[in-house]
Amino acid sequence: MRVGLRLEGTSCRTVVLDGRTIVSPAREVHASSLPEALESALSALRREFGSGITEITADVGRVLAERKLASVVAIRISPRPPADAFHDTVLPPLVEPAVTRTVHVAGGHDLRGRPLAPLNLQSFLADLPGILAGSARNVAITSVGSTASKEHETRIADAILSNDKDVRISISSDFYSSVFRDRDYTAILNSALMETGEELAAVLEEAGRRQFPASLLSFGKNDGGRAPLSRLAMAPVHGLHAEPAMAILGAATLAGIPEGEVILCTDGGVTVAHTRGGLPAARSVIRQGFAASLASNAAILEPYTVHHPVRGDFPSVVADLRERQDEALPFELVPTLPSSHDAALVGSAAAPLTAWIDRLETVSGRADLQRVQNRAEEDAHSAAVQLGASPGQTHIVESNVYAMPYGNPGIVRIRVQAAGETHANEEHMLPTAVLRSTS
Amino acid sequence: MSTLITAEDVRHLRTGAHFLTCTIDPTAIYIYAEMIQRAMEGRPLELITVDELAAEDLVVAVGMVTQGLFIADMPPVGDEFLGCIRAIEASLGRSVRAIYSLAAANINGIVPLMVGLQSSLPVIDSDPMGRVFPLISQTTLNIGNVAIGPIALMGVTGERAVVEVESPQRAETLVRALVTELGGWAATAMYPCSARQLKEHGVHGSISRMIRIGQILDANTTVERKLLMLTELLGTTRIARARVSHIESLSRPTDLGLPAQPSSIMLEDESTGRIIHLEIQNEILLVLVDGAVTAAVPDMVTLLNSEQGTVVNIDDIQVGDVVDIMKIEAAAQWYTAAGLDLTEPRAFGIPIGHPRRRHA
Repeated sequence: MRVGLRLEGTSCRTVVLDGRTIVSPAREVHASSLPEALESALSALRREFGSGITEITADVGRVLAERKLASVVAIRISPRPPADAFHDTVLPPLVEPAVTRTVHVAGGHDLRGRPLAPLNLQSFLADLPGILAGSARNVAITSVGSTASKEHETRIADAILSNDKDVRISISSDFYSSVFRDRDYTAILNSALMETGEELAAVLEEAGRRQFPASLLSFGKNDGGRAPLSRLAMAPVHGLHAEPAMAILGAATLAGIPEGEVILCTDGGVTVAHTRGGLPAARSVIRQGFAASLASNAAILEPYTVHHPVRGDFPSVVADLRERQDEALPFELVPTLPSSHDAALVGSAAAPLTAWIDRLETVSGRADLQRVQNRAEEDAHSAAVQLGASPGQTHIVESNVYAMPYGNPGIVRIRVQAAGETHANEEHMLPTAVLRSTS
Repeated sequence: MSTLITAEDVRHLRTGAHFLTCTIDPTAIYIYAEMIQRAMEGRPLELITVDELAAEDLVVAVGMVTQGLFIADMPPVGDEFLGCIRAIEASLGRSVRAIYSLAAANINGIVPLMVGLQSSLPVIDSDPMGRVFPLISQTTLNIGNVAIGPIALMGVTGERAVVEVESPQRAETLVRALVTELGGWAATAMYPCSARQLKEHGVHGSISRMIRIGQILDANTTVERKLLMLTELLGTTRIARARVSHIESLSRPTDLGLPAQPSSIMLEDESTGRIIHLEIQNEILLVLVDGAVTAAVPDMVTLLNSEQGTVVNIDDIQVGDVVDIMKIEAAAQWYTAAGLDLTEPRAFGIPIGHPRRRHA
């Protein structure tokens, strides 16, 4: 059995799933502190289900969102600094106040991974004592061209850690986007959340070890998958917007549609998503209007409109997730799921381990393209196994190649998602179908 | 008649420049629009018609040329275009009186506004493409035998070059090689010419058209109403509303030195059963419906989200998506024999002539 768990404020809400069946509906525990609420909720589950609980996945997005962001030093590596204020990188208002200092370092790479300028490490080392003398313990490093080479980011990170091993560092090459400001924003936000991520991971680990020492603890991700708790301290940003993805996955799981359409009706409006290969269809960034996007693989959720094309031959589920359901749904929609379920918690319980490979490759033709795509699929498979998935229960969910408009003719972007279950879960949620295409 | 551009105009221009780019990620446009809106505070930005200049006034095209690094990954630091204009002035021994866009879409449709703010030069509501093409030789000024050079370039690292060249085809080869070595993109100033030459051989109303397109797409109205208004403005036709069924990269070989590799998308119009095939290389070059050519470059083809009426980016397209495939006629110059020589599918390595070739 698997537990889906959501933390918020000083409360903890849980659901228990056995395969696709809810064996314990959503329960919420309020306490004087978050650790107490968690301890109390898990203790109750242990008394009821004992060692039958094999997996626990926590949605920590609400806690990450409600905590104050930690201060961050932003280090930007590019051949030249902006010549005027108008050409400076603009951060979304949410994270802009968190940046206490910005440091420019000469360096960066082109798309072929060739240096655009030598890394000015000497100058940076001279400034480093002053940078570390402040109160900020979190650093974000973003370099031009780090999708092709992360060398300059890692050299700056190494230089910082050589001086102070306790600094939390987030480097932008851990997040795929071909847009500097997206990676910069994501690395800064991730860095600002790392302290909270560490704290949540510690609290969950401690309570989990005490109540369910044999269970695997994970956190829910923005793509509808999960990752081991240890990753929460390093990449909390991937758990910041997990709830919508989990709601899609939960509704699809309850309806039994690994390939289909999921319509979510909430108090905020009606949205539509798709599941492919048993997971929400995902995009590599979360767009925020015209501002910088968050470079994190996340479920695609679009507003539902009166023009929505209805496909009679396509499986579909309509989930009414509103607080009150005394009024009819808009667009004459009729719910097809019982309204009492907390779909997002069910999704957390059902989430598989997911891993992504998203990188640039240089290819010389079709055969070469096939070779690099196969290699990326193997790497994604290995990455899922490293997260704890069983090799025999790991599958490629998506495998795409993207042309790069106005780029070097031989450079393509390869993007692969793998998903898997642990040995403990023989009854996994995913079908074995492989979705593979190029674009 | 000159007009002052407002922040609202820039917002609509952003949408219009994206619409006419035919599916390319618009982030660089967004970044520039934001820069321009901030830079405009307290500073007038003048958009003029070419008629407002003296016939022999020197005007120059400004735009980005890319071959590798994404502009959104390393936006210009701010001194590049001013350096290019100064280099052109030094080379020709004359002052530039106004600037115009190298293209009427994508980032080059919006860049001149920032350059105008920085340089205090007026921006002419004209361009030499009337859309965007990947090659700097694919211009109506080239059809009119206007010299492309001298060309001034400034790259990511601040390194500069001035290319003394007359033939646009040779310029394409030289500039593309230089841009690669300059780091992946270069700010450029090229096609320095007289206002008279631009008037005779350019495409006019470029920026105001993008603003008008943006006004339509940004309006709070139905998708069907927006399509109707686009038809009235541009003569746009909807080829089909269809669902993506297959996406393929490296769909055909390419060795023409064109940036980016080709890809293709197959769709099905579920109401008629027609199969639609899009052939793409930077832009959508060709649309086949049940095997018949329905649109071909230099026609512009763009995709709209059928529910939201928003422009669809190629990176976001997934199998199962439903899109409206829109066709827009290019400027009249492109349908002449000389225009088709430069831009019909054959120029992109697709062995198909444009359907209007026989009438050209």
